[in-house]
Amino acid sequence: MKLRDAASAYKALNGLVCIYKPTCVSVERVLHCIRTNLCRDLNGLPDRPGELRVAVEGPTNKPMTVKLVPNYADDPLVCGPRYIAEDIKCSWATHLGLFSSGVLLVGLNQGTKLTYLINTARLTRCYKISGLLGKATDTYFWNGKLIEKATIGHVTRPKIDEIVAHMQAAHQKTMFELSGVHMESQTMFDLASEGLIRPANSKLPVIYGLKCVAFDPPHFTLEVQAVNEYEKYLWTLIHDLGIQLKTAAHCTGVQCIRQGKFDVSLALLRKHWKLEHFIDNMDQCRIVLEEHEQLMRPESAILSG
Amino acid sequence: MIGFSKATHYAFFFNSIVYGRINEHLTRNLDTLYKCISTKDMNAESLLNESEPNEDLSKITPHFPNTFNLASYINHSEVLQNLLHIKVNLSKIETKPHLIDKLLKVNKEQLQKYVYFLKDYVSMDDLGNFITKNPMIFYESLDDLQIRINYLQSKNFTKSQIQRVVSKNPFWLMFSTTRIDRRLGYFQNRFNLSGNEVRELTTKQAKLITYNSQHIKTNTFVIREEMGFDDKELKKLILDKPKLLMINQLHLLERFKYIHNVMNIDHSSILRHPGVLLSRNFRVKQRHLYLKKLGRDQYDPKKANYIPLIALAEGTDIDFCKVYAKCDIYAFNTFLKTL
Repeated sequence: MKLRDAASAYKALNGLVCIYKPTCVSVERVLHCIRTNLCRDLNGLPDRPGELRVAVEGPTNKPMTVKLVPNYADDPLVCGPRYIAEDIKCSWATHLGLFSSGVLLVGLNQGTKLTYLINTARLTRCYKISGLLGKATDTYFWNGKLIEKATIGHVTRPKIDEIVAHMQAAHQKTMFELSGVHMESQTMFDLASEGLIRPANSKLPVIYGLKCVAFDPPHFTLEVQAVNEYEKYLWTLIHDLGIQLKTAAHCTGVQCIRQGKFDVSLALLRKHWKLEHFIDNMDQCRIVLEEHEQLMRPESAILSG
Repeated sequence: MIGFSKATHYAFFFNSIVYGRINEHLTRNLDTLYKCISTKDMNAESLLNESEPNEDLSKITPHFPNTFNLASYINHSEVLQNLLHIKVNLSKIETKPHLIDKLLKVNKEQLQKYVYFLKDYVSMDDLGNFITKNPMIFYESLDDLQIRINYLQSKNFTKSQIQRVVSKNPFWLMFSTTRIDRRLGYFQNRFNLSGNEVRELTTKQAKLITYNSQHIKTNTFVIREEMGFDDKELKKLILDKPKLLMINQLHLLERFKYIHNVMNIDHSSILRHPGVLLSRNFRVKQRHLYLKKLGRDQYDPKKANYIPLIALAEGTDIDFCKVYAKCDIYAFNTFLKTL
């Protein structure tokens, strides 16, 4: 898309963009970076023509002249750049921790309303969490202090698969327990027969799927589908897995590869955080949103999409 | 969508300064006007009758309230307009209200004299930037400035070198000759530089000489003690990339640790391409990991498929993929989305 001038580009900046958040950069830093980059690019585009002002000049006791002169007060060097960071509203849909990387949905200007909808709709997020067997740290993550070492010779792929399947089943049971319906009732049976259900509030993490996708001792990778999860919760998952495998483990990386229908192929890399890429990405995100409108306004407890 | 900079939080009270000169001439006129208003009814006809019919009232301005920024003065102040014509960014100066008070007291003749002096050393394109960075230059006497230029000449700096030093470091002329002499002496002794090397260093990175000396001492310590370069290597590093002394010490060490401990690059290779220490760590990291994945992470010039270290830091990703990784840029982007 060719951008004619700054004003039309600014008007186009309403909607959702899908960002690839790098690890070790906080979400606040990402938003700040987006804002400053957008201002830089908008200020670099052709500006509107300078304003004129009416000047009435000459002595008052003779005929005075009225003419249009350039208004110096309108010069960007005097009144400051046309677009500043405060002009761009920017908000995230769901938070990603400092050490997580991956898909981050960000609303720009009018799009901040969409991020609110996505936040309350609680779309499922899919993660790849990598772990390291044999060592445990006090924070459950690589940045912590090493507190325990253990042997890993007895850990095999079938063992991991078995325990992971067990963990998934346990989480699905709690999912129904947290729905607030009596476990022995007909209502619960009807609900459960429909499939997975979404949690009643935004506080408790619920895991829908858990799978080991790579095993290369001592490294392994899990794929998790979850709602209401947070960084530290995913770390503890790896720690618990280590204990259940009768060894120790800590997390080495958390990557969000999908949120709802927005996957990593849509996400913009750090080098592409520029105005023209944002506007292109916004259009792509709009198409995804229009195709899956029911995702944003869920009507029942049944998990879809 | 007019953006007012942060300075809008400060209220400036300098309208009296701009209009001070005009007001002196106007006192008499205003007095007659006030008399009319106070003694007679406030209708225009009586006002006209009382004041002298042939008097020129064009110099009377309406009451000017306190303002938040310079934009409201510029249409009436010739000095500010002149500053704008040489592309001084007034909105940036405005963020420091104490500078504005000083800048507004500068008169036209003074401005002319300084611009006339500076144009020998700073090109017209850079002059706006120069005054934006250092508006206090108008408060240094012209004789002092000439002495400071003469000092550089006495130290055998060529004309083009002096021009580069002054225009690249707008604060250079604010430092007295004794201070500059002390700083140059410090660099010469600390890094064992010859006269030519001092001049080369000063011209290459003029800001370094007037930089915070504590910061320079810390970074020298980091390079010598924590990174383990000896004095000769330190000198080579400084002359090659003087900016190494000006960046954040923690970032410098983090970059070195990654290159030295994780990538296993020895000191002599880093010395050959010190620019790699000036690039942000994530850039080096992602390119190195990609090369490693392709099996191309070979940084030894004596073996085949040599990748120079600087390729990890410089150039666009497209060039990097084409020349060194020998792959498609899309493959590289896909890889970046797995980190």
